[in-house]
Amino acid sequence: MKQAQHTHVPIAARLIERTDLSEDTTLFRIAPEERALAELSSFVPGQFVQLSVPGAGEIPISPADLPAPDGTLELCVRRVGHVTELLHKQRPGAKLGIRGPFGSGFPLREMAGRPVLLLAGGLGIAPLRSLLMHLLRQRNRYGEITLMYGAKQPRLMLFREELTALAAEGGMRLYLTVDFAPETAEGNHSCAIGLLPDLLKGFRFDAATTYAAVCGPPPLYRCLVADLERAGVAAERILLSLERRMRCGVGRCCHCGLGQKLCCVDGPVFRAGELKGIPEAL
Amino acid sequence: MEKTKTFLKKSRLNQFLETLRIFGELHGPTVSESGVYCFSPLHEPAQLQLDYRRTQIPPKKYLLPFREEILHYASGTYREGHSGAGDLVLFGVHSCDLEGIAYLDRVFLADPADPGYSTRRSHLTLVGTSCEPDDFCFCPEGRESSSCDLFLAASQDGFHLSSHSARGAALLSGAAHLLTKGPPPPRRPSGTCLTPQDPQLRFSENPLWHKFASTCVSCGACSVCCPTCYCFDVREYASLSGGALRIREWDNCLFASHGEVAGANFRPDRLERLRYRFLHKYCGFTPLQGVNSCVGCGRCKEVCPVDIDLRELTAPEPEER
Repeated sequence: MKQAQHTHVPIAARLIERTDLSEDTTLFRIAPEERALAELSSFVPGQFVQLSVPGAGEIPISPADLPAPDGTLELCVRRVGHVTELLHKQRPGAKLGIRGPFGSGFPLREMAGRPVLLLAGGLGIAPLRSLLMHLLRQRNRYGEITLMYGAKQPRLMLFREELTALAAEGGMRLYLTVDFAPETAEGNHSCAIGLLPDLLKGFRFDAATTYAAVCGPPPLYRCLVADLERAGVAAERILLSLERRMRCGVGRCCHCGLGQKLCCVDGPVFRAGELKGIPEAL
Repeated sequence: MEKTKTFLKKSRLNQFLETLRIFGELHGPTVSESGVYCFSPLHEPAQLQLDYRRTQIPPKKYLLPFREEILHYASGTYREGHSGAGDLVLFGVHSCDLEGIAYLDRVFLADPADPGYSTRRSHLTLVGTSCEPDDFCFCPEGRESSSCDLFLAASQDGFHLSSHSARGAALLSGAAHLLTKGPPPPRRPSGTCLTPQDPQLRFSENPLWHKFASTCVSCGACSVCCPTCYCFDVREYASLSGGALRIREWDNCLFASHGEVAGANFRPDRLERLRYRFLHKYCGFTPLQGVNSCVGCGRCKEVCPVDIDLRELTAPEPEER
């Protein structure tokens, strides 16, 4: 019965800190009750949790980092719907709920010793940030780490200072791009202008051993998977973190079906090879 | 378990129904004022419509209510909200619907078991009856499901009873005084009706797909009345007192909203949604991939306002002349 309690009833969590990252996206740090900590400590980057905002409902969120040593968790959330709207109104001290973690994460053991290329579009940086943080903390276990991150425009680029500082430490290569930059001081940032796939075009890397982790808006996947395969990355080493409306998280509500798979239990991280022939996947 | 078989004369059916009430509130097939067959409480034996073809809504409504409170939020904590279930005896369930419940059991009793479903299921006693197929049915004739506690196979002057669980044996012994020795029941086949289909069929160039998509109105009736469709949505409502209520209710993969995410829809067209439903129904989902969940009850065909019959896709090619 303990298991059933865990998977159905959210455990109380408290909002302890919020940091606005852009006009509509905020990083929430939450402290789950002690009895959730053991479950959450098994979190693997790429997995998701169900965050409850009392009175509004529940949403699946991929944490933006592994749980901190004090058990707190960072969730990067954009204000786009009913639940996130109410979440964004919450102040530190507010009561929330959490279930999880659910689903599959990135195959970390398999990726050990190999170069990793992270490709993030827009809010897709959130799940990939937890992977990046893990890779950097275990830096000597992985090959070359490269992050390519594209946003619509400079003011929508999330974690910019943090990523730049991490790159300056020398642990990874960082390439930033924006779809367009306004001719104002705000647009005066040192990053490329163009789409994410354009960044990849000029990139020289060892395609035979590299693992690519991709997360972004739906059109990005179709484009990047084709480009990566053309560059020589095997479909089995292209890892995609997909987004669906996962209502239950345990494979029952069927809202996250893609072909004969369910995003919540078979994913949300899939290999591009697994998704071949499933038109509703990408 | 060794099957106990014995005979109930037709004239004693009403008394038999009364003994079933000992095991819980008695429900069975009845006909509503508007002429619709439905499972509902049997207050008196005369309400029972044992010669029914099929009810409009399958017995899944007893295990997965159309709308259910699953969580309550109060004083900073979420708690289980599903209401407790009383003992219920569902009488006169056809084999197709029994197989439908057996499929739902595989989904909702798998680890971790769904709390609401498993509570209600443990309080539900199933008594099956044999049936006469009509033009909409497509299960093997005379199929007898053992996915029940007790099965009543009708013959000329009564019913051959066979128990399939410890509870079924208890029902038999509770009604022992009404039973007589009778001839052994005829052997009936048991099993699923349609073999699992090839998932690739949904991409076939079969022109039927386009014909179906051009007439389908996405009403979702086929899914609502399907004994094995179980998609659900979850919503939460705040109360003025500061608490909240989380509910789940039936959803439908024929609705355009089903494949939506923020900023995109992965199945925006009817053709895609029809193919998706076919794939789920006839080819199975994780972790029941390869399991056909169609039980042949014929409801989808009967209720479709534009006469779509997905089985046409799987029918063998007509022989060339």
